[in-house]
Amino acid sequence: MGILMRNLILLIVLFSLSYSDTYTFLVNKYDKEMELESKIIKKITNITVKQKVVLFIPKITKSEVKFYSKLFTLSNNCEEANFIFVKKNITKDFLCKNKSGKLYFTNNYKKLLNNKDYFGAFFWSKSRPNIVFIKKRLDKMLISLPNSYKQFVEDI
Amino acid sequence: MKVLAFLILIVNVIFANSLNELLKEYKDNSANSLKTVDEKIGNVIVYSQKELRLMQHNKLSDVLKELPLLNLNKNRYGISTPSLATTKATLSGFFRLYINDQEVSSIHTQSFATSWGEMPLDFVDYIEVYYGDSSFSLGSETGIYFIRVYTKSANKENSTELKTIFSNNNSLSQSLTHSDVFTNDWSYLLFLNQSTTKDDNSYKNQKLKNDMKSRYFYIDLTNDTTKINLSYVDIQKDNYMGLSKDVVPQQGEIKTQDYFINFSKYLLEDKSLKIGASYTINTREHEEEDDELLPIPAANGNTLQEYQENLKFTKTTGYISKKLNLGSNKLLTSFHIKNKTYKIKNSKIVTSRNTKKETTYSFTLEDELKINNDFMLIGNLKYDKYKRDDYLEDENEEMYRIGFIYTPFSNFGIKSFYTKTYLPPTFYNVDFVSKTNKNIQTQQYKFFVTEAVFTTEKSKLGITYHNVKIDDFIYYLNNPFVPGFINIDHQIQTEGLMFNYKYNISEQNDVTINYYMTKTSETSNNTEDGGYIKFMGRYSSFEYFASIIYKEGYSFKPTNGTNHVVVDDSFDLNLGATYYYTKDLSFSLKGENLLKESTESLFFDAETNKNFSLNDFGRTLSLSVKWVF
Repeated sequence: MGILMRNLILLIVLFSLSYSDTYTFLVNKYDKEMELESKIIKKITNITVKQKVVLFIPKITKSEVKFYSKLFTLSNNCEEANFIFVKKNITKDFLCKNKSGKLYFTNNYKKLLNNKDYFGAFFWSKSRPNIVFIKKRLDKMLISLPNSYKQFVEDI
Repeated sequence: MKVLAFLILIVNVIFANSLNELLKEYKDNSANSLKTVDEKIGNVIVYSQKELRLMQHNKLSDVLKELPLLNLNKNRYGISTPSLATTKATLSGFFRLYINDQEVSSIHTQSFATSWGEMPLDFVDYIEVYYGDSSFSLGSETGIYFIRVYTKSANKENSTELKTIFSNNNSLSQSLTHSDVFTNDWSYLLFLNQSTTKDDNSYKNQKLKNDMKSRYFYIDLTNDTTKINLSYVDIQKDNYMGLSKDVVPQQGEIKTQDYFINFSKYLLEDKSLKIGASYTINTREHEEEDDELLPIPAANGNTLQEYQENLKFTKTTGYISKKLNLGSNKLLTSFHIKNKTYKIKNSKIVTSRNTKKETTYSFTLEDELKINNDFMLIGNLKYDKYKRDDYLEDENEEMYRIGFIYTPFSNFGIKSFYTKTYLPPTFYNVDFVSKTNKNIQTQQYKFFVTEAVFTTEKSKLGITYHNVKIDDFIYYLNNPFVPGFINIDHQIQTEGLMFNYKYNISEQNDVTINYYMTKTSETSNNTEDGGYIKFMGRYSSFEYFASIIYKEGYSFKPTNGTNHVVVDDSFDLNLGATYYYTKDLSFSLKGENLLKESTESLFFDAETNKNFSLNDFGRTLSLSVKWVF
């Protein structure tokens, strides 16, 4: 049986080799999740912000700067931004004094429910990523989402 | 107008679909569990969240029995214990098991098998297995294989999960996992499990009892920079053969309790400074009775009919580590302190034992030098200083490792490491040391590992070679007059080759084939060659898997004049499927060892003076129900 197993391995080795998406060694930090997150946020800003998006992420990390800067103009303060994505627990100092014309988005569903400043959230629940927009807050901010996005809207 | 409305509809559908597609890709990517892989630590195998789910790996031992280059066999106490290929260990100290930042091996024996080997995996996100000494980076106990278990993230679970597993042998496991995220971004994950395992065997038409009851409690409190883990585990089990001279004891029981609290925190804006501390308590009660027990060193040649001990161990650790970027060099340096105590609460037999203390100070330095985008050099140094009370001499140990990772093409890479490391004697080694070898020495390891990887669009082939040289190997000698642990007086060598091939049949289905061959300079008392084929996938509401784990048969030819034992090939066939009634409610059916061709473990009957082998596990069918809400 050992010989049979060895021959089977050798047969498989003879499969043709070509260039691939699979990795050999993960020499650099694996950041694919962050890259995809930035693309999802880009989709959300595309349908919610009419003018050019200036994004502010309080306490932004180097890894976030690497991926978000490819898709957004980043701001290092709230006042100059028009889309604020809050991913961490922050003090009021990080938020804008003038809230008009700015959209607040979070990664924490409870934060979305408890703070009316946020119009939506991108978060995990039951091991699945979710996006939720609050209908009343969208209406108040005069944001009209395409019909196909109704699956993400909650009428709370 | 109709055309315009149609175009708007199309655009809407495309937008939503692309967002749904991105969400699906995001979820699938997360399930691949590659975020924490550290190629610098050693040669790694990842058991991703996706694989643990598809393969229905319910317990840690389900993963261990499949791992290449090692064997998982029952010891005399009925505990499934990993051993290096070609060997069979009663208690193995080669493997370090981490749960997040906490190293959980027994303070007494350095083996994790008793308390954690059957750990349920419901609260586990994924597992990384590193071949090579990772204590350079992790700064703790030395070892040869490092198993890193990462618990599920409360942020991603954010739910309550109930799971029950029933087996045809009347085993039952019930788990609750609950997690929540607060508005201040702290989150917690709570895990509770209670299991009853029925696992009897027979010898000479007599029953070998091996039933076990276990309870697990785990809580993880986390925010962006801080992690606090608390755990409690208790095990109560029959002693299987125990120390019975005629193999079948009249009665016996083992009870263990493990508690730990672990705290870690990242400091500075770039999280380059990390501090941590932990406190662990292990207790162990062991008692058995028979007409005559096997001789043990502390009995001083007297015949024993009863064995009873009640032991308590504590471990306190603290560390600080710092990452630095200096040009092309990435440096990691750390300082660790660890204190272990051993207290005998009650022991009827081993009166020669006494309270022991050991304090270890460790300094580590790692340098990752990137010569260019394709070539990286890695160097590690570690210095350990052991201060012991008079049960064993103080000692200083230096370790080093050098290696490189070279990826000249996107579909080819090679990495090699040469390591000098060691394994110090454990409290258990000292308790059961042979009268002829009282000053038991530290085992010295030198090993070379090289791995080449080829990839195609849908496949990955890895070939790994290892060569290990061991001086002062610690071995338990079953001599009836002077039993106990001794240092082997000559160098032991092992080498081996492993092939691993993974082919993605489609986005949802893949197959992996593994085969390894090893040889040793000593008489093998276990499998030398083995491998597996496993297929797993998903279609519609179904997930399914099939695997066959092969371990080559062998002939045990002892050099002490006792009888030969021939052990047949083992083909452990496992099949399973899961049906998702809804996204949150699923039913799983799993069959293990369907061909009844289990691995076998070697034992010695001291009454008849004969070696014999027994099956490690039987055929099992199990049904599980999982509900998430």
